[in-house]
Amino acid sequence: MKLKRCLSLVRASLLDSLQFRGALILTFVGNLFYLLLIYYLWKAIFASSESDIINGMTFSDTMIYLVFASALFNFMEMWIVWGIGRNIQSGQIIVDLLKPIEFRSFVFFSGCGEPIIKFVTTFLPTAIIVYFISGRAIPLGKNLIFFTISVALGMLINFYINFFVATICMYTQSIWGINIMKEVIVGLLSGASVPLAFFPETLRDIVMYLPFQAICNSPLQILLHNEYPVSEVLVILGIQLFWVLFLMIFTDLFFRVSVRRITVNGG
Amino acid sequence: MEPIIELKNVSKEFKILNRHEGVKGSIKDLFSRDYKIVNAVNDISMTINKGEIIGYLGPNGAGKSTTIKMMTGVLEPSSGEILCNGVIPYKKRSENAQNIGVVFGQRSQLWWALPVVESFKILKDIYQVPDKDYNDMMELYSSIVDMENLLHKPVRQMSLGQRTLCDILAAFIHNPAVVFLDEPTIGLDVAMKAKIRELVKTLNHEKNTTVILTTHDMGDVDALCKRIVIIDKGKMLFDNDIEHLSELFGAYRTLILSLNKKGTKCDEEHMQKLSDDVLSLLSEEFSDTSAFSLSFADDKTEILIDESKTSVVKVLNAVQKKYKIYDMHLQDISTESVIRKIYEGGI
Amino acid sequence: MKRGILYYTRIYFKIIAQDIKSKMSYRADFIISMIGMIATNLAGAVSFWIIFQNFPTVQGWNFYEMIFLYGFSLISATPAQCMFDNNWDLRYKVFSGDFIKYCVRPINIFFYYMSEISDVKGLGQFAFGIASVVFAWIKLELRVSVLSILLFIVAAVSASLFVIAILNVAACTCFWIMNSFFALSLSNTLRDYAKYPITIFNPILRFLFTFIIPIGFMSFYPSQIFLRPENVPIISWFTPVFGIIFFYISYKIWMKGALAYNGTGS
Repeated sequence: MKLKRCLSLVRASLLDSLQFRGALILTFVGNLFYLLLIYYLWKAIFASSESDIINGMTFSDTMIYLVFASALFNFMEMWIVWGIGRNIQSGQIIVDLLKPIEFRSFVFFSGCGEPIIKFVTTFLPTAIIVYFISGRAIPLGKNLIFFTISVALGMLINFYINFFVATICMYTQSIWGINIMKEVIVGLLSGASVPLAFFPETLRDIVMYLPFQAICNSPLQILLHNEYPVSEVLVILGIQLFWVLFLMIFTDLFFRVSVRRITVNGG
Repeated sequence: MEPIIELKNVSKEFKILNRHEGVKGSIKDLFSRDYKIVNAVNDISMTINKGEIIGYLGPNGAGKSTTIKMMTGVLEPSSGEILCNGVIPYKKRSENAQNIGVVFGQRSQLWWALPVVESFKILKDIYQVPDKDYNDMMELYSSIVDMENLLHKPVRQMSLGQRTLCDILAAFIHNPAVVFLDEPTIGLDVAMKAKIRELVKTLNHEKNTTVILTTHDMGDVDALCKRIVIIDKGKMLFDNDIEHLSELFGAYRTLILSLNKKGTKCDEEHMQKLSDDVLSLLSEEFSDTSAFSLSFADDKTEILIDESKTSVVKVLNAVQKKYKIYDMHLQDISTESVIRKIYEGGI
Repeated sequence: MKRGILYYTRIYFKIIAQDIKSKMSYRADFIISMIGMIATNLAGAVSFWIIFQNFPTVQGWNFYEMIFLYGFSLISATPAQCMFDNNWDLRYKVFSGDFIKYCVRPINIFFYYMSEISDVKGLGQFAFGIASVVFAWIKLELRVSVLSILLFIVAAVSASLFVIAILNVAACTCFWIMNSFFALSLSNTLRDYAKYPITIFNPILRFLFTFIIPIGFMSFYPSQIFLRPENVPIISWFTPVFGIIFFYISYKIWMKGALAYNGTGS
């Protein structure tokens, strides 16, 4: 029964997203633009360099990495911080809390529609196009299975981080400030805007100990390096799983403590 | 009487995408060019005079808001003409806006974070109200409502009722010729409703402002409006004084009778049989059977009597011949039930 | 009653003054937003720094020149952030039908709408932009004169018109497609690329980013006047004229949307 309830939430959010066809087309165009932009930027960067391989990455490696990173990032984003933040400030959250389903699950499943649509409209086409353009540079094998698992874990990590940030909104009126900080930190430290390989060594070491790289760097490492032995892949997945569990417990506790404050804010 | 708003054969059409159901249907809609034309307002004409309070009624989706949007210049009619204060609203939106005030219930137009008095001052500048007029208006306001409590409170801290009150005051601040009140009492408690009605009545009286009121609360209509206009599905159904409304049904009154001894089991079957019996009794007595109709509620038998055809006393006499009347009660048909009949298509 | 520029200026400052007064009551919010703003900009600078750790120049542009472009793009984005921020809320107002309240006042809808919100946190971005430009200016040993400072002000103001124009157009798509969020977020992404030299693109995109989606004018073209004074492209001098044209066009489109608006909800 529980599954059915969740599925119907997903269905509702799917329907909701489909109502805006103009928005879908724009998302598609926007992505195309973004890809063009990173293509030319990195082409120029590599053209200015003397060697073809920098920090172990060629131009096409970098492109594949960045295109996938942006596509992944794009489809994972649920934009929940704004929604929850607004709900908290307007008092609407009280109504959501009364629903016979745990709030965090409610948010997750009702935010699911968009990623699903975006997976089909942006991620899959991008992946297929990149696969052929790059001369089939992406290895296809068991890595695809691990990749799928890793993406799911990354998505959960991203969701929990978002949920954590949204919960902070109970303490401050500034949704904007908090949201933008999150976007920047996640964008930079997950390696979505500049591949982690280019980071100076000390910075990279620090970043590897943070949860952000597990959102999008981990799945991409698995996808692009089919030569990794299974043990190494399992270590990457293990680290992701650790972050999922840690964040799951942490956000739950944090939310429980914070929710008591709502009574102060009033409905 | 001086006309202030005139509508001549006004219609408004909307193009609406035909939506399909379910996930599959939604995907189909993404590429669909399947539009249908909806007549939100269909050939409406009316003249509204200076100083009137008009109740503009209709069920949800009847086209009330669309008409109001056209009168305020937000929407352009597909055909027909509107003249508001000698100005064509949708052609000269700004000029028209200077002469009107608008209140949308539950949608405050005041600056959310500011104390009301600051909102008023900004509005004073926007409408270029001279100092003297502004001060006079504030004085009038203070004589009607308790302004001290409201003026320095930020809007976001107000209750819905206080906010609506302030919104109405804000709409009158530039002494407009016409004020549109769109469901001003929606969601308010009884005391606040009474306050709002009193306020509107006083302002209308003091400033001779024309008020166009849409509402679903017949209490508002009974308290404020002399004339009402009813539309449904974009078409005008009724435009006349409120007294004439009941005449639409002839002069009807309902006679409510208790014909059962205390303790009698009054289930549906019993009541149905009783009212059938009463009906056949009345049919024997009167030649014109269209003069009354029977129904029942709980243990009461209700006889709706058309007084243009027969009288209540005659009916009572006839019933008494066979039944003992334990209790009786006579009820005028209420505005609410007339309007409900109209909405339900009773005419 | 004529409503001239004086009338609008007076009303604008009255509303702004009130707005700032009321914002003062949320000091924590202001500080967090400020920190967020500076953190965002810092992250932008850091990603430059990371790139230049690996590559000495990008197409002949060195690190300091890139910092100049970056700083300039932040300065030119400030007016849009501070004065036209209500654009971001437009889609909510249109969706819920609340937008109608802006249509029943006897003043310009665009003006009335934009005046409602002023966003002081944009000043954090402004401060960061100025600091970056000054830093780069010193490191690059560019000339300082009254003329160059005046030129800089004109260039920055003109460039800001392009940012506002794109924001307006992106926001007002919601009048037609309801959810303008993706258009807005696209405009943000594009604006983000204003900090790169437009010469990295191929000719078709360069044309596109010059005349259709004018992100080249947000920083690159006007910056040439200061970075390469001996070799300024002619188009740089057209920044003010084009700025006014683009702003005007965006205003017209926005108004067309607002007037075509028929208010969802009953």
